[in-house]
Amino acid sequence: MAVAPVQDAIVESRKGVLWELQRNRKFTIGGAIFLAMLLIALISGMMIDPDLRKSGSFPQRLPPGEGTLFGTTSLGQSVAIQLTEAIPNSVQVGLIAAAVGTILGALIGFVSGYFGGKVDNVLRILIDVFLSVPSLLFLILIAALLRGVGVTAMALIIGAFAWPSPARQVRAQVLSLKERGFVQVARLSGMNGMEIILIELMPHMFQWLGANFVNAFIAAVLAESGLSILGLGPSREMTLGMMIYWALNYSAIFQNLWWWWLAPVITLMALFLSLYLVHIGFDEVSNPRLRTEG
Amino acid sequence: MNPYIRYIGERLILLLATIFISMTVVFFVPRMVPGEPMNAIFANMAAVGGSMNAQEMIVEYRVRFGLDRPVWVQYLSFWRELAQGNLGISISNFPSEVSGMLLSALPWTLGLLTVTTLISWIAGSVIGAVIGWRGRKAGVARLMVPVALVLYTTPYYILALILVFVFAFHWPIFPLSGAYSVGMRPGLNTAFIVDVVRHAVLPALSILLVSLGWWFLSMRSLIISLKGEDYILNAEAMGIKERRILWGYAFRNALLPQTTGLAISLGHIVGGALITEVIFAYPGIGYRIYNAIKSLDYPLIQGGVLLIIISVALANFLIDAAYPLIDPRIRFEGSGGS
Repeated sequence: MAVAPVQDAIVESRKGVLWELQRNRKFTIGGAIFLAMLLIALISGMMIDPDLRKSGSFPQRLPPGEGTLFGTTSLGQSVAIQLTEAIPNSVQVGLIAAAVGTILGALIGFVSGYFGGKVDNVLRILIDVFLSVPSLLFLILIAALLRGVGVTAMALIIGAFAWPSPARQVRAQVLSLKERGFVQVARLSGMNGMEIILIELMPHMFQWLGANFVNAFIAAVLAESGLSILGLGPSREMTLGMMIYWALNYSAIFQNLWWWWLAPVITLMALFLSLYLVHIGFDEVSNPRLRTEG
Repeated sequence: MNPYIRYIGERLILLLATIFISMTVVFFVPRMVPGEPMNAIFANMAAVGGSMNAQEMIVEYRVRFGLDRPVWVQYLSFWRELAQGNLGISISNFPSEVSGMLLSALPWTLGLLTVTTLISWIAGSVIGAVIGWRGRKAGVARLMVPVALVLYTTPYYILALILVFVFAFHWPIFPLSGAYSVGMRPGLNTAFIVDVVRHAVLPALSILLVSLGWWFLSMRSLIISLKGEDYILNAEAMGIKERRILWGYAFRNALLPQTTGLAISLGHIVGGALITEVIFAYPGIGYRIYNAIKSLDYPLIQGGVLLIIISVALANFLIDAAYPLIDPRIRFEGSGGS
């Protein structure tokens, strides 16, 4: 129906995607909040004396403002300094997991959609199976059994479950793209399957992959914080989820040390909200019909 | 062949593949990790004062649970037992049957999640429809949009922490954990029911508010996209009352995708609130599975995961089977080239 002309329009205005993105208000506001949080954490993290990260560097249980910005924990750590470590680590989990999931998913989706036949039959069932199972269940299982994984390992495990949804979308896109004229021309001119995928099809997928990447990013940070709160996170490193875990572990809620648990909670909420705005922005740009009102 | 039968056949294969692949993963992953599930039994025995030769007992118990045999033999016998409806015996809660343990946990999860899912779906859909329909005329009510956005993007367990702080610590109105007070005897009397409801309020609220945000946002955008449709404009031109257009025309058409969403989330009910159940020590399926994973209770892990997978896969299957019957626009293309 009306789908084909819309896609053509997108393909033609492709060099304008970045321009369209920076014009989208949700994308820019979300992106700005996200970058600001990350940069402030990274820069102040670099300026802080590493010795101050140790337990006992500060008096215990200080409320915010009295000597430290966001107060201190029961172990004499500064909550603000913990945040400078936790935000980049949580973002790192999101980035690695989303990259692994998106690349893996794109690859599987390309192969499945492009080659079709038996390969497609098997991969399609795999995609559908992993789309329908609740991945958190398997993540809990694996994280619980591996015990004490680091930030990177955690990210890889989460990424290993993030491929089905990009795979399904890329597969559907390839199915519709491969019947189009320019792919036929490429095939007739003697390009092989891999070349067609990389040179002819890949460039058309960047927007979908972009939106997917942000989506996987959100899901990964979500998974990390959930696992960490259950006590299955990277126990030797600091992430936003681990901050909450330690706060709960020392019953910060019931000792009325509200700053300890509230700081990572609010940071997480801000992180999710900003990423979600970026996601909506991406969606609106790659699917102009969504833009009507909002 | 009848395309519908062919289509159902494909969905059935998918249903079986989902169960088979998930159970295979769940069977092998815990066994690849070094760890001694029997430790849980001995911890329990030591707690009640049992003192026997531990090493001999471990060997004996391993034989009893079949853990001395090669893994693939265990795997085959797992499917054989499952085909006869036997989920085995829990290791950590020896000698309780896995099926019995899961059955006693199921009502708590189903009760908590069914009620919250339905309430949030109805409330979210109705409010979303009204605010979406009114558009810019909705006035102050439009504030619901950013509020719903914040609620929806907040993970339910984060909301749970905030609720605990406000309503269990700052104003201790609701109890902190469990499904009913310690020492209360379960029964069909007012005191017990009130107690159960009081315990369910905070976990329920954490799930309800998050999903309310989602149903609200999706119904609102559905209504907005329907507002420009020809049949709506036509109805307006014919002078039909606005209220009737909203509920009889727009809302009715938006209900189809919204109901699909409901069916999907009903399928996810059994395993949907694992972290909330853990935070509130709510004795449902999620909490059971979490504890089983922690103590390497293979049979209980397998049984719990099977229950969740079957409910999710079955819900998906039923939606797929029903959808072409409800919505004639859907064609049967085996390849599902959506």
